[in-house]
Amino acid sequence: MVPTPQRRPGKSSSPLGWLLRQRGNWLPPVLGIGGFLVLWQVLFNLGILKLPGPISLFTEERTRSLILDPFFDNGGLDKGLFWQTLASLGRVAQGYLLAAAIGISVGITVGLKQSINRAFDPLFQFLRMVAPLAWVPIALVVFQQNQPAAIFVIFITAVWPILINTAEGVRQIPQDYRNVALVLQMSSRRFFTKVLIPSALPYIFTGLRISIGLAWLAIIAAEIVMPGTVGIGFFIWDAYQQNYVGEIVLGVIWIGAIGLILDRLMLWIQKRMSSGQ
Amino acid sequence: MTTLVDVQNIEKDFPLAGGGNYLALKGIDLEIRQGEFISLIGHSGCGKSTLLNMIAGLDLPTDGVVLLDGESIKRPGPDRMVVFQNYSLLPWLTVRQNVALAVDEVMPDLGRAERDAIIDEHLEMVGLGQAGAKLPAQLSGGMRQRVSIARALSIKPKLLLLDEPFGALDALTRGNLQEKLMQICNEHELTAVMVTHDVDEAVLLSDRIVMLTNGPGSKIGGILEVDIPRPRQRLTVVHHPSYYSLRSEIIYFLNRQKRVKQWQAKTHKVLARHGLEKVNLDLGILPLAACAPLAVAEAKGFFSKHGLDEVHLVRETSWRGVVDGLLDQTLDAAMMPSGMPTWMTAGGHGGDPLPIVTALTLSRNGNEVTLAKRLADQGVTTVEAYRSWLGSHEREPHRIGIVHPASMHNLLLRYWLAANGIDPDKDVHLQTLPPAQMLADLKDGSIDGYCIGEPWNYRAATTGHGVPIVGDLEIWPGHPGKVLGAREDWALAYPNTHIALTKALLEACRYCADPAHWSEMSELLSDRRYLGIKADLIRFSGQPGETGPFAPHGEPHHLFFGAGLNRPSRTEHLWILTQMARWAEIPFPRNYVEILERVCSVSVFSTAARELGLEDVSYQRQGIELFDGRAFNPDDPIGYLNDVKVHRDFSVAEIPLGLPRPLSV
Repeated sequence: MVPTPQRRPGKSSSPLGWLLRQRGNWLPPVLGIGGFLVLWQVLFNLGILKLPGPISLFTEERTRSLILDPFFDNGGLDKGLFWQTLASLGRVAQGYLLAAAIGISVGITVGLKQSINRAFDPLFQFLRMVAPLAWVPIALVVFQQNQPAAIFVIFITAVWPILINTAEGVRQIPQDYRNVALVLQMSSRRFFTKVLIPSALPYIFTGLRISIGLAWLAIIAAEIVMPGTVGIGFFIWDAYQQNYVGEIVLGVIWIGAIGLILDRLMLWIQKRMSSGQ
Repeated sequence: MTTLVDVQNIEKDFPLAGGGNYLALKGIDLEIRQGEFISLIGHSGCGKSTLLNMIAGLDLPTDGVVLLDGESIKRPGPDRMVVFQNYSLLPWLTVRQNVALAVDEVMPDLGRAERDAIIDEHLEMVGLGQAGAKLPAQLSGGMRQRVSIARALSIKPKLLLLDEPFGALDALTRGNLQEKLMQICNEHELTAVMVTHDVDEAVLLSDRIVMLTNGPGSKIGGILEVDIPRPRQRLTVVHHPSYYSLRSEIIYFLNRQKRVKQWQAKTHKVLARHGLEKVNLDLGILPLAACAPLAVAEAKGFFSKHGLDEVHLVRETSWRGVVDGLLDQTLDAAMMPSGMPTWMTAGGHGGDPLPIVTALTLSRNGNEVTLAKRLADQGVTTVEAYRSWLGSHEREPHRIGIVHPASMHNLLLRYWLAANGIDPDKDVHLQTLPPAQMLADLKDGSIDGYCIGEPWNYRAATTGHGVPIVGDLEIWPGHPGKVLGAREDWALAYPNTHIALTKALLEACRYCADPAHWSEMSELLSDRRYLGIKADLIRFSGQPGETGPFAPHGEPHHLFFGAGLNRPSRTEHLWILTQMARWAEIPFPRNYVEILERVCSVSVFSTAARELGLEDVSYQRQGIELFDGRAFNPDDPIGYLNDVKVHRDFSVAEIPLGLPRPLSV
């Protein structure tokens, strides 16, 4: 399934006035999240929920220090959340860039040549369905080391949406645009830069945006089963081993926030890139 | 003019999803001359866009070649630039960049400044000099199409190909763009091929209009030359006398294609019942008062009484529809003007001679000549006045509407004009028009008058648009009007059906002849299936002592039944043959005796009359004498022809008919 690319032109205005006028947009989510946190705290206080409530993240010594100072570094695995996240993001970046490069180029090839598409599509569809976690043991066997294995897991998870969306984007280039290129006898290089890439761009970005979320999901899964690595995934696993439940909750919130930021970032880039259309 | 594009015997088929091939085009030959504007018109799916794509090189023919300047077209190229229906602008490029894309690609040798100048020039040309920095999404549909035209013209193509360029635009924008395109084409002497659905657009823009038949295996059904001088203006071109005849020609063609398609979509089994070979008949009629016998036979059950259970009356809008219906056998039989059986038998329709038989004369009289009110206002109410009026208005074209070259209207009108010192070809121009078109043309002044059957004369008189100046009672009282006609091979394949049909219609004729039935008949014919006009406009004869516009000329006195009225008369058909030869509609057949013998199915009529117990109507009419007192000697038709004063250069020729043989069923 390929989601339709979003094409919404951005608006600009003075920030404060914009905030006031747009309160219908931001007020409901603030109220919704606030309500959720209150409910969580109440359930915890009533003893129904075993998980520590949100307030305890600040009252408890270990979590408070983690929140207040994400930048400490005591050597080894004992590092602040910032460093943990940075390490994870570094791996994601490597795997994701690799996935983007290979996904886009293979996607264009597949999109242009129906025969290649026929040959490889079943394989792609098959590999796409393998969960990130299932790749971990294979990656460890092949690469023998944690770092490249983790990057491979990111890559193999993130590459499919990019590849498939790019291929679809290329296939969806309207026949009219192709006819224009044909009648003008455009060289293939100019066809590539003037017609193919601009036309397929919305699809490519849709793939990139889906993949950034998947990549972030995959890194956590990969790190959890790769002991001894600095990273937010192993941070949670470590906290679980030592029964620091508050740290687990904090880690999870952190992961969610980073994922959200990555997604919004991609959306912003996508809007910037396709504003001309 | 030199030939730019030569399409030679093109055939194109497409593979179908379920296997097999769809034959889109077959045997297309077309030469496009330098500087010519050609339109391709036809129904959806007739392959007109495919043909355009093959000229563009976007598609290759399965068989045959397309030559551009003598070289075979194998691939698309900028010398044949296409303007696509949906504009095909790249949405991420500005207007200017879109045009620049083409110019940069096609003219890489020019300097930047030169290329910029070309781009600006063409954006100016389409009136978009200010919009260069805009994106296509910011423009209206009309503006986008202008950009597309600018892009196409900027690379100076030898040939401009337009695929329904204005199809998606509103009427006002379309009109403006059509004028713009015409102006550009005139100024730059462009050669262009345009695919269109729009009949008016085709007539307005084209030098020639190529009409394509329906697929599968679409062919060129006809090519019309548009003789309207350039420069043309959208609002004034409609006043050119050719405009409406071209327009109605195209519409006739498109309607005909549609009808053939509908006819093909139905199953056509020959149903044999009650000892008749075929009881399901499609009979052609025209909306005229003279179609009364057929309408009555249908409404009063005469068809079913004689075993013809499934008779369907097909309302054609022109006599040409009847001719085509008999040619392609979508009609079993039809009411036709009395000249048509011999005319088609002699090959007057332009193809191979097609023997037609007539076993029954359905009506006599009923025609008048009407002149426009504007002439009557100048005192032109007699033929003498018209003759002198023509003399003083020599410079203007004078057109008189007729319904068909083989109609009695044409022959009587010509006879009457010639006998009154007006040459029907030199002094006036007789123009074939569909009956329903006549009144409109009379109103807008593109014809001086017309000769036609009812209800059109009475209608023009009552609405005040025309004045009847002579009635057929003053030319040849009792002349044959409409006859029943069928293909000879059809009649031979279904002899009993032919007799049953003749019987049903002869009984209907008897019914129609009774004045007591006339108000009922008017009511019946006013139905939309027949004439679709008010009943009080449909009159079969005047009342004694009535005054009115017809009174001096005799009323449109229809005769439907009586002694010697219905039996096909060889003498009358011979007179018709001599008249058609006199005006060079057909050569005079040397084998006229054979033709008359085969056209006039006297035996079928006699059998029908005898079985109805109406032997007394079979009595032979006597000789023919028209108002000028000239006797017609049926034993010496060529002597008669040589004797008439006004005539064209007629020829005498053998018409090869072959042996009579039935339709293979």
